[in-house]
Amino acid sequence: MVRFYSTDYTYAYPFPAVSLAYFLRYPNPYSRHVASTDTISRAFDPATQRLTTVRLHVKRSRLPPAVVKLLPKSTFTGGGGDGKSTQSFILERSVVDARQGWMECESWNLDWDNVLSVIEKHTYTRPAALSSTAGGVEADRTDVSVSVTLKSRIGEQLRKRRQRWGEQATASSVSGSSNGEEESVAKPGWFSSWSSGAIRSAIESISLQRTEKSQPKAQKGMSVVLSRLRNGGIQEVLEGMRKDRELEI
Amino acid sequence: MSASLAPECNETKERYDNCFLKWYSEKYIRGTATNDECEPLFKQYKTCLSKALKERGIDQMLEDARADNKENDAEYMKLSAR
Repeated sequence: MVRFYSTDYTYAYPFPAVSLAYFLRYPNPYSRHVASTDTISRAFDPATQRLTTVRLHVKRSRLPPAVVKLLPKSTFTGGGGDGKSTQSFILERSVVDARQGWMECESWNLDWDNVLSVIEKHTYTRPAALSSTAGGVEADRTDVSVSVTLKSRIGEQLRKRRQRWGEQATASSVSGSSNGEEESVAKPGWFSSWSSGAIRSAIESISLQRTEKSQPKAQKGMSVVLSRLRNGGIQEVLEGMRKDRELEI
Repeated sequence: MSASLAPECNETKERYDNCFLKWYSEKYIRGTATNDECEPLFKQYKTCLSKALKERGIDQMLEDARADNKENDAEYMKLSAR
């Protein structure tokens, strides 16, 4: 089964500010779980004036604790050895069209996707009535549309080899390549108490609840960045990030 | 500024990010950009990052993600061509 979350709202800021804030949104006081953000590629097309960006975010404890409890310990062999560390790699692709006044962003998790795959889409648009007056007066609001699709595939890995990258990424902590084999032998016993369908469904439900809580926080985080941007431009945002980091320490 | 996953790349990342933010807000979003002025700085950052991704075994994960994406795109093209 697939769970779906969606919401629409409006930021009381013009589109240029909102699109800039998207690139500047980490760190903010509501993003303690985001450890790093790197730009993997960026392409500007002068003909269409579209800007395409691919970024990689590393987030901590992406899996909710209730989900972690449902998983066999062997799931965490790649997480750093303590059995509980759950960092996750999120890839984000965004396209901005400054001329037409829209930005489309899509992000998905690169690891743990056998446990839970999360695809998040954000669309930011300049209000329709003003789209034609590009270069003229900017509307002081931006419409946002968010959708999140959650799907668990746990149990499916029993039928196929452990994913290629998984062996790659944990190569330093695992000697040899026999680890994947041992795991698939160990799992059927664990699955006998719960059907994998029931576990998938439970993981999706728990994750949906968490999405319902985390989305308003993400929105608040963007609002903090937007307000800093309005008060003192990019410098104020960067200064705010420094202060947030000091508070954390 | 957000941190890089590779601390050794933070310096080149920050130089690039600063350039990008300036270019984005002063030129791109105003529709006056003719080229990506920050590309030389991005190349420096990318050199550092690519090495770091490789050392940490993350490069393969990214390549697989791109390959999957291409497959999906191809699948989508087929569907929409019907």
